[in-house]
Amino acid sequence: MNPRLLLQTIRWNRVRLVALVLAGFGWGILIPVIYSNFSDVIREMANSGAIPKQMMSFGSGNLFSVPGAITIGFQHPLAIAFLGIFAVGTTTGAIAGERERGTLEVLLARPVSRRTLYLTIALAVVILLSVELASLLGGLWAGILATDIGDQVDTSALWLVFVNGLMLWGAFAAFGLAASVSFDRHAPAISLALAYLLVNYFLEILGSLWTDVAWSQEYSLFHHFQPAELLTGKADPADFLILTAAILVPLAYALIVFPRRDLAAPD
Amino acid sequence: MDGEAAIRTEALTKHYGSVRALEALSLDVQPGEIFGFLGPNGAGKSTMIRTLLGFLHPTAGSASVLGMDIVEQSVEIRRRVGYLPGGIALYDTLSGADALDYLNDLQGRAPTRREELCERLQMPAGDLRRRVRDYSRGMRQKIGVIQALQHDPDVAILDEPSEGLDPLMQQAFYSILDDLRAAGRTIFFSSHVLSEVERVCDRVAIIRAGHLMALQHVDELLARRKRTVTLRWRGAVPDLSSVDGLADVQVQGDRMQATLLGDVAPFVRAVASPALLDLTIEPARLEEAFLEYYAGDEPTVAGKEASS
Repeated sequence: MNPRLLLQTIRWNRVRLVALVLAGFGWGILIPVIYSNFSDVIREMANSGAIPKQMMSFGSGNLFSVPGAITIGFQHPLAIAFLGIFAVGTTTGAIAGERERGTLEVLLARPVSRRTLYLTIALAVVILLSVELASLLGGLWAGILATDIGDQVDTSALWLVFVNGLMLWGAFAAFGLAASVSFDRHAPAISLALAYLLVNYFLEILGSLWTDVAWSQEYSLFHHFQPAELLTGKADPADFLILTAAILVPLAYALIVFPRRDLAAPD
Repeated sequence: MDGEAAIRTEALTKHYGSVRALEALSLDVQPGEIFGFLGPNGAGKSTMIRTLLGFLHPTAGSASVLGMDIVEQSVEIRRRVGYLPGGIALYDTLSGADALDYLNDLQGRAPTRREELCERLQMPAGDLRRRVRDYSRGMRQKIGVIQALQHDPDVAILDEPSEGLDPLMQQAFYSILDDLRAAGRTIFFSSHVLSEVERVCDRVAIIRAGHLMALQHVDELLARRKRTVTLRWRGAVPDLSSVDGLADVQVQGDRMQATLLGDVAPFVRAVASPALLDLTIEPARLEEAFLEYYAGDEPTVAGKEASS
């Protein structure tokens, strides 16, 4: 790990980080606010048959309990977009982007090994994701206090949501970095990482909306991040194991492939 | 370095699939010399440099920089080397000063030469405060040179270093190289601008399609080139056919033109006469030597003259 490189990588992302912290905090506040204001109305609509039953459980969440609403909040496309910026955009740009711009030349001409470069960027992304997730959970906590629904959820288990969420997005970040070390251009790296994210998301949402293919959720990484279960004391250790594997496999790939790759002169 | 070569390659080979970018290339660069590495685009110059710096992995052979193996000790090598890539790209959102600070912090050595380099390359503090994206090509190249040399590296590897510099800055740059040589630093200098190689380099290697075609002192290389000599004579031009190295003699009235190979002293002695009205000996150019190695078909003998 190189402290100067770590600091600079975070500096490159500081504007993004401020914007995403504000957006995450705001979104975190909105989740309990929406729940406390609209859950009864939506429940009535569901009971009257105005909304198909399947639509009541988006992903692995629902709008009839605070933990279920929090799960929806984390699986909402807005939250995916916020968190995907670092997990996909920053990771794929970190090496393939520098390579495309030609700046990787001057960077790797310094006494910095490729493994150190990779691990330093990985650490920077973990820090950025942690701050972003913490801001989202901070907003959530503030929203719970503001709407006075703290008795419906065990807020002491929010740290588990943080850890599990960080593992989920760490898995996407690890894949993004593996794509980044494999390509000389940013476009194919970000395309591959984005496709990986979207396929996982599709499998999770598809299984929740169409019960005949509910099995597809098991193949999605999103299915292994269940705030509702974590907040109701039903955490499944298998989820943590699967996400650990999803982090370690691309990490090992990148650590093996990147130092061995030939970095030909940029075009 | 105790007599050890600053850069040594032994049968260094790099293939990309069927493309033979470097073919069994062996050379030594001595400490304290400016070594020119010549060849047109695609000859293998950048491949050689990138292999020395660990960007590329050799297919066969070995190489060392400052006595350290390029594969096993690449990080240690880069700690003591300064590198200017061809067509350097810098961080556009940083100011020139911030880019230099950042790169130097990563280098981990004090930027002892930065101030002097900025002064000699005319990069005042005002220019360094501007963002790199607002720089002209020449200013980017100056920052490139400064980032490569600011930490006073033992070996500087410079790929097309004067590209984009105006003639005045080129002269300033050559003078910097002269000073580095005087300070015992080694410069590995890749270029296809033959006049600057002739101006600054002690020895040159000429590479073609990954093969080493020649490795000689610039003076030796030039001494072996043909020069054109022209003279005017009062009365009939004497017979000079016995002068060593003189060939292609053409006489028209009182004027003679010929080519002269090698030492000029015998020729000058032969024409030293009150009848001599005018004498012109055109200097030998590196360009002719270079073109000689690039005439004809693909090379068949690797390392020709490499031992001379």
